[in-house]
Amino acid sequence: MSSKDLRKGLWISLFVLPGLALVVSVILVPLFMSLFNSLFAWKQLLRQEYIGFDNFAKIFGTEPYRTRFFNALGNNLRWFVATMLVQNTLGLLFGYLLSRRIPGHGFFKRVIFIPVLFSIVAVGFLWGLYLKPTGLLNGFLRLMGHGELARAWLGQESIATFSIIAVNIWRWVGFPSLVFLAAIDNVPVDCLEAAHIEGAGEGRIFVRIILPLIVPAITVITILTIIGSLNVFEQIYTMTGLDGGPNFSTDAIGTLFYRTAFGSVDSGNPEIGIGSAIGVVIYVLTFGASILTLATMGSKEVEL
Amino acid sequence: MRFKRAVLLSVLALLMLASAFAQKTTINFWTWRPEDVEVYNRLITTFETANPGIDVVQTAHKSTDYNTILSAALSGGSGPDVFQSRAYGGLETFAQSGYMESLEKAVPELKNFDKAPLRGATSIKDGKIYGVPFASQTLFVYYNKAIYKQLGLSVPDTWDQFLANLEAVKKAGLQPIANGGKEGWTLEVMMGAICPNFYGANDFFNAVVAGKTNFQDPRFVAAIGKLKELTPYMPDLYMGVAYTDMQSAFINEQAAHFIGGSFEAGYFAAQNPKLDFDVFAAPVAKKGDSHYVSVYADGNFSMNSGSKNKDAAAKWLRFLAGKDTGNAFIKELKQVSAVPGVDTSPSPYISKVLSLQKFNTPYLMLVGFRYNQPTGSVLIQAALQGFMAGKFDAAEVARQVQEGIATYYEPFKKK
Amino acid sequence: MTTDLRFRGSRPARKALILLIELAFIAYALLIFYPLANMVLSSFKSTRDILRAPFSLPSSIDFANYAAVWIGKGFARYFLNSLWITAASMVLVLLLGSMAAYGVSRYRFRLSTLVYMIFLSGIMLPLKAAIIPLFIIMKKAGLMDNPFSVILIFAAMGLPSTVFILSGFMKSVPMDLDNAARIDGCSDWGIYWRIIMPVVAPAVSLVTIYNAVPIWNDFFFPLVFLQSDRWKTLPVGLTSFFGQYSTNWSLLFTGLSIAVLPVLFLYIFMSKYFIRGMTAGAVK
Repeated sequence: MSSKDLRKGLWISLFVLPGLALVVSVILVPLFMSLFNSLFAWKQLLRQEYIGFDNFAKIFGTEPYRTRFFNALGNNLRWFVATMLVQNTLGLLFGYLLSRRIPGHGFFKRVIFIPVLFSIVAVGFLWGLYLKPTGLLNGFLRLMGHGELARAWLGQESIATFSIIAVNIWRWVGFPSLVFLAAIDNVPVDCLEAAHIEGAGEGRIFVRIILPLIVPAITVITILTIIGSLNVFEQIYTMTGLDGGPNFSTDAIGTLFYRTAFGSVDSGNPEIGIGSAIGVVIYVLTFGASILTLATMGSKEVEL
Repeated sequence: MRFKRAVLLSVLALLMLASAFAQKTTINFWTWRPEDVEVYNRLITTFETANPGIDVVQTAHKSTDYNTILSAALSGGSGPDVFQSRAYGGLETFAQSGYMESLEKAVPELKNFDKAPLRGATSIKDGKIYGVPFASQTLFVYYNKAIYKQLGLSVPDTWDQFLANLEAVKKAGLQPIANGGKEGWTLEVMMGAICPNFYGANDFFNAVVAGKTNFQDPRFVAAIGKLKELTPYMPDLYMGVAYTDMQSAFINEQAAHFIGGSFEAGYFAAQNPKLDFDVFAAPVAKKGDSHYVSVYADGNFSMNSGSKNKDAAAKWLRFLAGKDTGNAFIKELKQVSAVPGVDTSPSPYISKVLSLQKFNTPYLMLVGFRYNQPTGSVLIQAALQGFMAGKFDAAEVARQVQEGIATYYEPFKKK
Repeated sequence: MTTDLRFRGSRPARKALILLIELAFIAYALLIFYPLANMVLSSFKSTRDILRAPFSLPSSIDFANYAAVWIGKGFARYFLNSLWITAASMVLVLLLGSMAAYGVSRYRFRLSTLVYMIFLSGIMLPLKAAIIPLFIIMKKAGLMDNPFSVILIFAAMGLPSTVFILSGFMKSVPMDLDNAARIDGCSDWGIYWRIIMPVVAPAVSLVTIYNAVPIWNDFFFPLVFLQSDRWKTLPVGLTSFFGQYSTNWSLLFTGLSIAVLPVLFLYIFMSKYFIRGMTAGAVK
């Protein structure tokens, strides 16, 4: 190796290694440690013998783990579907309307993005107060003469998860809106004008021209929604608590994982082996679903 | 010359200050009672005056986060020197993970403690004592005396009288019961207060722990069913009513009853000194039955086995096992201290609680079924939420609890 | 542009539609503003008034609550902790991230793709799921209850996106610039620091906002790693505050206002940067 190559190698190492070391030691090594830990039995916080995939078998097949796990996973699925259907559709609509430069669009654009900046914790606590039986929302309904619509928004099993999702949409809808806005703004104007002159209607232009051209943005938002839905934690923690109450109706993988790993409120003990296995499942699901989305959406991308 | 002397003196002063700092041992002390910070501060001041070399630094965590934060800190090798620890199964976890120092030698005062509270501080595995018990808690019904007087009500003896009282309060336009169900544990407390008189208190407890019967025993199912009869008297949308909402309603005299534990009294009194309240043991099925209350050891003060200041920590623990602490618990926190031989006469409330403890039964899930996953508490809390919301009946509650506990509880497996 | 939805000069049907959209946006803006306004108003009301008359205005504006929460309840400390922990993390993210981006985008070497992929893998891996091993690592490193643990994690969390965004920008800078500088006797570090970094400065500002906002708001890692009160950050401090004063709604709203308003003020003056920065990873 020439001294020039050596110098170059040294420079590269100097630039790349510090960051690489940090990413490897904080992101990748823990990933493999989770995998490793999940293959062992644990007694409280001490590692015992190798047991293969028993921890995974427990999550998927043994009570009470199975019920808790699939209950939580079902809620993550609800998060994903509701977020895609409501938040991202709304975001696409907002983005589209803002791109059409409706009067006051600059102001509205800034306004819908405001809650995106707030911490989930603050938003969760704020709405937790508003959604109490005696809180602002029920107060508003009664003021409007619709007291019969008042609910225990966070206490009724059938609606608690959706109440939390609604709060999260309030916080986050500005994000997909502005991503879609930027994507639509990038669609070449002459394309749109040409279609317009040819007499194509609004809907046709949107479906035939805009939508295909913003597929990359849709892909990104979908992946972010997958990652977000599989990792909800703070929202539930602040509004219905670590136990995902009432009766586990708002429990999600994130809260289940935390309880399993560290022990729940005052009644549970930490189970590191099971917890690590759940962690691995979160990894696999997040990574798998993201790759799958990339692959299927990538084929639909249109190059200009 | 003068200048030189001034410099010398200041250096000396600094050195003395530094050495004073250096000699001070700091004990980190954690509790899950943010409500009681002031009381502990006064205890700490008393202790530090007697032990000038030791600084006790108190940190109070939200009770629902406490276990998590504590186990995180302890398994991380940091954590406080002395800390409040849960009793029974909650103690077992930490003791058997090796995070707690056994205290028979360090705290000789433990020899004089009662057997009952010590049970909550003793590991069922090795029989060693890992904590100084601080209080026993009793579950019963608080009532607002002013409201009772105003409506001409008297303390109910039987269940029917209790329901009649609730009806009267409701007719008067007030909230009969403050309790809600957003947090499962408040429902478990409600069960602990109400149900023993219907499932047969100690007979059932001993039988179920021994595996001679199980949770699907008709007595238990019927007792759970009683809770449903209270829902017409609970707040609007009670499934959304959280613990703190319950406290507010009773403190602000909007609700006439609060079904809860003896640990509430201090907070009630502090938040509203004008609040005129008393307690009664939950009503019984028929006249002449004994009024049972659920009792449990609330928790302990334990020592971190990894503490670097074990001597100082032991001194603080001995103080916590002593009369000063016992008196503070009774007078200021209005709790039944576990410290033996403390005079309860200054507090009529404590005397009342002690008189109610005459017929006591262990708090079912906490004392008996919190040693394995899923704990009886986890199961009953979730099931009661479904039950109180009207999703399923009492038999289903019993079935869920039984099935969950039977997955690990040996006495249930033999059958 | 012909595609704009202009009110003037449109046909009546279109005018009605625009009016309807306009109303919908105004309603949505109210849905955002009213809860925030009510939060601030409630902080000036007594708990009793909040519960009895949730829509009333405060009878007087008294900042006593704010003083109590800011000083007495430790929010000043939580705020400062959040500030310096975010700042320290960002210094690491920007320095190490731009260096790594420079390394993978300006040199051709055999492992460059692999290195780039390693950085990228971090974008899709949820770090929360690794909390147990992270715990064990931090414990072994003696970093429990030490803000350094959280700073390291935040830095690692920010690196993947930073490398991704910055290397994209750096690739578009012509190589001639480096070569010319090298001929002038500039060292590799000099090229990075004095030539490339100034060129990509706008991108650096994007990356700063992109990472600083989530770090400032993060709750999970400080919750797990920082136990003592003196290190608590704003979100964690807010949580213990909510536990402690749960029945005093007046104080709770004050605490929330203190947590939310500074960010809002900053946003009013820098909304363009915030919007561009936060969406930087998702928008080409």
